[in-house]
Amino acid sequence: MAYGPTKSRSRSQNELREPNLIPIMNLFIVIIPMLMTIMVTVHLAMIEITLPTEGAGNGGDDSQEQVEDISRVITLALLPDRFEIMVEGIEDIISIPQLSAGTYDYFTLDRNMAHLKNANEKQGTIDILPDPAVKFDTLLRSIDICKSNNFPNIKYLTSSTKFYKAK
Amino acid sequence: MNTLSVKVNRTSGGKFQHRKRGNKTKDLNITSLIDILTILLVFMIKNISMDSTQKNSPEGMLLPTTITTNELVESGKVVYLKIYPDKILYGTESLNVGTMEDFLGRTEIRNSLLKLLQMESKAISSLSSKPCLLIQADKEVPCRYITEFIKFSAQASFANIYFSSIHTEDKDQILGL
Repeated sequence: MAYGPTKSRSRSQNELREPNLIPIMNLFIVIIPMLMTIMVTVHLAMIEITLPTEGAGNGGDDSQEQVEDISRVITLALLPDRFEIMVEGIEDIISIPQLSAGTYDYFTLDRNMAHLKNANEKQGTIDILPDPAVKFDTLLRSIDICKSNNFPNIKYLTSSTKFYKAK
Repeated sequence: MNTLSVKVNRTSGGKFQHRKRGNKTKDLNITSLIDILTILLVFMIKNISMDSTQKNSPEGMLLPTTITTNELVESGKVVYLKIYPDKILYGTESLNVGTMEDFLGRTEIRNSLLKLLQMESKAISSLSSKPCLLIQADKEVPCRYITEFIKFSAQASFANIYFSSIHTEDKDQILGL
């Protein structure tokens, strides 16, 4: 006499067996920390400057974004309490005082740079003259504002003499 | 006395069914955990960058933030100079040059750093590459030192000078809005 399958046997055949996920879990536990360690969280940027010396001048000769310059010097001076912009041939110096002690008015600087770009479309160079006491953050923000307003060539004036005041 | 280990189930038609607790271990359902881990894995693989320049953020230094970025000049080779408020590190090996006051005040330190830069510049030029100086400075460092380093690098024939910063897309952050 033949017997039918037992209840437990027929149940195990009907039910879907769960896959063994332990090897996958092991793999994930190894891969995820590894990826977390090599993941880039901070993207670094590089800001190019050029030197004012004649020979090395236009250290950015190879720069692809070189804009044809005309002989008009725009100088941005970073002073401990304000920004000053002097355009060659224009007597008035644009002065942008700090909003409060230690807080520079980058917004007005940006607006003035945009205005200067509109007035001198072919100009691609800005001379930047930082005061020795000005912080590096202020210098880089100012360079960034100039570059973002289509002045790709930043000439770093290493002389501390504010020559434009003598004119 | 067995009352704690035995659970009485009266749900099936009023009949008593005795089941011993701990006889059968219930499987842990890890499907949801696997789902989360898969999403994490895909996200990380998408975001991963193999660009070595992205990984050279100096430790313990607050870099300024900028929206613009320039590419390194073609066939350029970078020499790193890290300027902290309390120390100056030179090269990828991070050789400690001394403090900024040492750099300004002590001639022997200036001379040895200048020699190092000149040697590095010559070595790079001999390989038909262009020597580039990448200055990574803390945002609090006064420009006095930056200017000195730029003068220095010009003496050592570094025509291409770059400042390192953290890239952002948010212009308002730069404008302080």
